[in-house]
Amino acid sequence: QMWQVGKRQASRAFSLYANIDILRPYFDVEPVQVRARLLESMIPVKMINFPQKIAGELYGPLMLVFTLVAILLHGMKTSDTIIREGTLMGTAIGTCFGYWLGVSSFMYFLAYLCNAQITMVQMLSLLGYGLFGHCITLLVTYNIHFHSLFYIFWLVVGGLSTLRMVAVLVSRTVGHTQRLILCGTLAALHMLFLLYLHFAYHKVVEGILDTLEGPNMPPFQRVARDIPVVSNAVLNTTAKAIALTL
Amino acid sequence: MSNFEQFHLDFYQSNYTIEDQEEGCNSYGSDKNLCDRRRSQREKQPAGGAFVPPDMVPSSQSYTGQILQPAYSPDTPSQLGYTDGFDEEPPLLEELGINFEHIWQKTLTVLNPTKPADGSIMNETDLTGPMVFCLALGATLLMAGKVHFGYLYGMSAIGCLAMHTLLNLMSTSGVSHGCVASVLGYCLLPMVILSSSAVVFSLQGIPGTVLALFIIGWCSLSASKIFTSALAMEGQQLLIAYPCALLYGLFALLTVF
Repeated sequence: QMWQVGKRQASRAFSLYANIDILRPYFDVEPVQVRARLLESMIPVKMINFPQKIAGELYGPLMLVFTLVAILLHGMKTSDTIIREGTLMGTAIGTCFGYWLGVSSFMYFLAYLCNAQITMVQMLSLLGYGLFGHCITLLVTYNIHFHSLFYIFWLVVGGLSTLRMVAVLVSRTVGHTQRLILCGTLAALHMLFLLYLHFAYHKVVEGILDTLEGPNMPPFQRVARDIPVVSNAVLNTTAKAIALTL
Repeated sequence: MSNFEQFHLDFYQSNYTIEDQEEGCNSYGSDKNLCDRRRSQREKQPAGGAFVPPDMVPSSQSYTGQILQPAYSPDTPSQLGYTDGFDEEPPLLEELGINFEHIWQKTLTVLNPTKPADGSIMNETDLTGPMVFCLALGATLLMAGKVHFGYLYGMSAIGCLAMHTLLNLMSTSGVSHGCVASVLGYCLLPMVILSSSAVVFSLQGIPGTVLALFIIGWCSLSASKIFTSALAMEGQQLLIAYPCALLYGLFALLTVF
């Protein structure tokens, strides 16, 4: 009886191992390649007339997602965020992996509808490397608490990585409407995710900001003087951000 | 000779040992003369007797002797220790597989990340050292007022699984769970130093962060060094160091906050 159970478990484990082997070629990289791809992900390409090559590699994106999880955790810990239902670790991992896998699948589905030439692994890889900009932005702005700095980073760094992804997608799609749909969705989701990560997971202590920044702060940001709970702060700052951008 | 046989019919024990020693020397071929002598003795026994039972007895005894072969073979003195009594048992540590010399060697390899590591030291998976370091980390965290044993166990288990998967994907030769667990556990030693310093002063300022980053770098460098030398993956040390750094960063988060 026990022998049969053991054999069944062993065969199940073996089939699981066989499945892992499928992913093996996607992890065969050199450090130089990873570094080159990281830097490339911030440089928008100019040639959109012929399809750009996307490296179908999963090591870099996976590590970037884990880095984002670590940065989120660090930000949550330094700002003493309390998550009522669930754990810090679970929330961070759920958010990052959910974004990476979910948005990749959604974009792949849209790409299928818009007849773009891109495979699932390439989409995962593209989006994963696009998270490099998010990582840099969050790393800087979780430690240096200036709103204006965050907006500059959001536009510049986020914008660069979005432009690169958009350019690659445009080079692989034909037809104006399809390009618009695909690239508009990707740009919106990418930029909004960075905004969400900054505001939802890092309670900005408004009072300390006020004393630090002194008279340089524009008047409408001084209104939130009390130390609110997280949701209140998010609502306040998001409303002001929208007012500022409008 | 037949009297001898009949006398010893009642005493199966001694007959077992004689027969087993015969079988032993037949299969191992230790001493040719001894074997020949005993073989001739065995040949004499069936010929000498009008007794059918003695003929049956040696053969059945020799049959059962073969079953009992491994426990009674005279070649391994430690096995004989089981039958000989308390004095000749092997030392407890040897039985448990704990080899202090190896543990010390591996600890020194971890503590000095610049020294090139020997790839063969990770051939035997030794989980004693890692267990000790894990418990030491938990104990020092306890002294700082944080009872986080559950988090420690969970994070080390999941971290071992994740590193095992990644290493199997990245290397041409696979690794076993025990090897990964052993290496990751040994390289937890600098983290024990970090948490013991957390007892003395709070790590939440700039010097604490710098110290934590330094210790994370130390841990991940030595872990990746051992992994690359054991799996022959030169040139990919940085690629392995980064996931290790993320894992040890989690432990550092636990220690600092």
